[in-house]
Amino acid sequence: MSTSPATRRARAAKRKPTRGRKQSADRQASKLADGPRAAMRAVLRQVPTAAWMCALVALLNAACWSIVTPPFQSPDEPDHFAYVKQLAETSQLPATSSEQFSYEELTVLTGLHNFQVRLQPQTHTIASQAEERALQRLLEQATTDPTPGSPNAGVAASEPPLYYTLEAIPYLIARGDSELARLQLMRLLSALFAGLTALFVFMFVREALPEVRWAWTTAGLAVALIPLLGFMSGSVNPDSMLFAVSAAIFYALAYAFRRGLDRASAVAIGCLTAIGLLTKLNFVGLAPGVLLGLLVLSVRAARASGRSAYRHLALGGGIALSPVVLYAGVNVFSGHPTLGLLSTAIDNAHGSLVAQANYIWQLYLPRLPGTVNDFPGIFTARQFWFDGYVGQYGWLDTPFPAWVDSVALIPAAAIALLCARSLVEHRALLRGRAGEIAVYAAMALGLMLLIGADSFRAFPATDGEYAQARYLLPLLPLLGAILALAARGAGRRLGPAAGTLIVVLFLAHDVFSQLQVVARYYG
Amino acid sequence: MHSVRITLLAGLALLAIAIVLTLSQSPVSVAGTNKVPNNEASIGSTTRSATYCQAHEAIPGGVSAIRLWLDAAAGPRVSVVVSAGGRVITRGSRGSAWIGGSVTIPVKPPPQTVSSATVCASFQLLDETVVVQGSAAPATLAVSQNGAPLNGRMRIEYLHPGANSWLSLALQVARRMGLGRAAAGTWITLVALALLAAVTVLASRLVLKEIG
Repeated sequence: MSTSPATRRARAAKRKPTRGRKQSADRQASKLADGPRAAMRAVLRQVPTAAWMCALVALLNAACWSIVTPPFQSPDEPDHFAYVKQLAETSQLPATSSEQFSYEELTVLTGLHNFQVRLQPQTHTIASQAEERALQRLLEQATTDPTPGSPNAGVAASEPPLYYTLEAIPYLIARGDSELARLQLMRLLSALFAGLTALFVFMFVREALPEVRWAWTTAGLAVALIPLLGFMSGSVNPDSMLFAVSAAIFYALAYAFRRGLDRASAVAIGCLTAIGLLTKLNFVGLAPGVLLGLLVLSVRAARASGRSAYRHLALGGGIALSPVVLYAGVNVFSGHPTLGLLSTAIDNAHGSLVAQANYIWQLYLPRLPGTVNDFPGIFTARQFWFDGYVGQYGWLDTPFPAWVDSVALIPAAAIALLCARSLVEHRALLRGRAGEIAVYAAMALGLMLLIGADSFRAFPATDGEYAQARYLLPLLPLLGAILALAARGAGRRLGPAAGTLIVVLFLAHDVFSQLQVVARYYG
Repeated sequence: MHSVRITLLAGLALLAIAIVLTLSQSPVSVAGTNKVPNNEASIGSTTRSATYCQAHEAIPGGVSAIRLWLDAAAGPRVSVVVSAGGRVITRGSRGSAWIGGSVTIPVKPPPQTVSSATVCASFQLLDETVVVQGSAAPATLAVSQNGAPLNGRMRIEYLHPGANSWLSLALQVARRMGLGRAAAGTWITLVALALLAAVTVLASRLVLKEIG
């Protein structure tokens, strides 16, 4: 293995960027100027076949989840569907967050017994031919409703429109079919985002940890098989696109940290940030870290090429913040709060800053001595985040038996130990990349703070309103890096076997998660 | 690489065995209920620690879990004690952070049926709201909260392992999976199986090619 072409390529990749590499980057920049098509072709040529294969695995897995999960039995799917319906049929955004959906959607939800099944783990989906015939009658009846759109879109109403605009395409393609056909086609578009997520995680690990080629595949494949990714990307939910955009940003940052910030990288990071902000509000949590990344990269570039590097910062930052500026401008001129619903949320904040900080701390970590216990009887890191990651499907009402969560601690601890071993071994390298690591940490911290601050708004009525593992999936590239490091931590001889074991473990987790969902809804 | 091939084959073989063992188990089914209608009506709620007790419960023998009609967004740890004639028949507990309109607590199966027992559920709570669901009932039959009767009786279900294994129910499950779809039919289950098989084959090939 040590003399294989793969290893030689990996060794070459390990070296610092050379003049030739820089010239290649310049050629790419010039191709970008030649035209977006040529630039896109150049970028796609750089993607290894293994990355495409990881993407395909993630896509097929999410497609499988889209079948296994009954229609409208994933978090807030009826709300997201209503948003798309409104946008596709009226070209307007939803007006209110009421859950009084359109007649068509309510009729279908009724036929599916949706309100009896969701959050009632003891109740299965429709199970008889008589119920199926009743549903088909309701589906036909629903199409007779002449009122277009759905001005009410529940919790989705406050979200930006980009994901829903894309989902309007499959919606309109299947316009003549039943609502369930439209939903299935829309779910498949979400599944595409799972593929992109796995692809960008592979590419991120390739840039961030270029030394060991097989470890990229371990990371890409394991992430492709994460059941929570498959579940969320197998349903209509902007989270699916958020995961993909976040993974792409991590990749773009890693690329720039390894090869230096040029105009093309700055534009890419700026565009991806803008897309993220237009995809889901949660991206706001990642944005400060991304901007910090642009700043750190510009300072580094300025050391080599002078102040002109700051032009890249201005360009990337300007593009990144353009949706926010545009949104704020429209709100100011139309007499609404500057940041829309976000302003209202900030105004509605309650409790002292100390109370909020204490709450956010405890949402992730054990409470500090002398502080108020906001989560009595709950070990948040374990029960909200770890158990939630191990498995909470459907409307979060489909967990594994408690013993599975306990057993899952064993491989999780093994992965953590192997990763720690790898980090200790490479601590000298880590010190040299402190700036890059700080940027990734800032992105993670920003997202966690956002989730905590949002959850605090519902506290104390609800202990952990947004304490759902899916909200941390924008950090999947970091999990990919941890898995790659863990495999490498097993040593040069055992590393590939450890990497294989990790992939098989994630495959098993995925298969049993789907079986759990099948048992809950159809058992 | 040899070790990769062995790890992959051993891993897939273990996975296959685990699937077969799981499918040879029986799903839990309802052995009995206290006949309180399942209408999700609130008969009480609390935001503080509480003990709810309900008498005159018939506990079927061999019960492996008790399902209480408690509703919470992030439910607390719940402990259940079943007693009759001053003697504890069975007990169990369930960890916190459960979600939904009911909570299932595994218990040690009692050897025989008990015709009149008291089921007590206790939990620690600070702010989170827990709602008790059931139907109106006279005070003598009502569930009590910390000793004070509420205005209704909580629905309780008693679960035990069913008679048939998942494997023997496979066709029935596959048929159910095909209902409520754009194009209903059992073929949908086959598509899901084919996709899962494709995922496994592609992932295995990639492991052998890139990691091995």
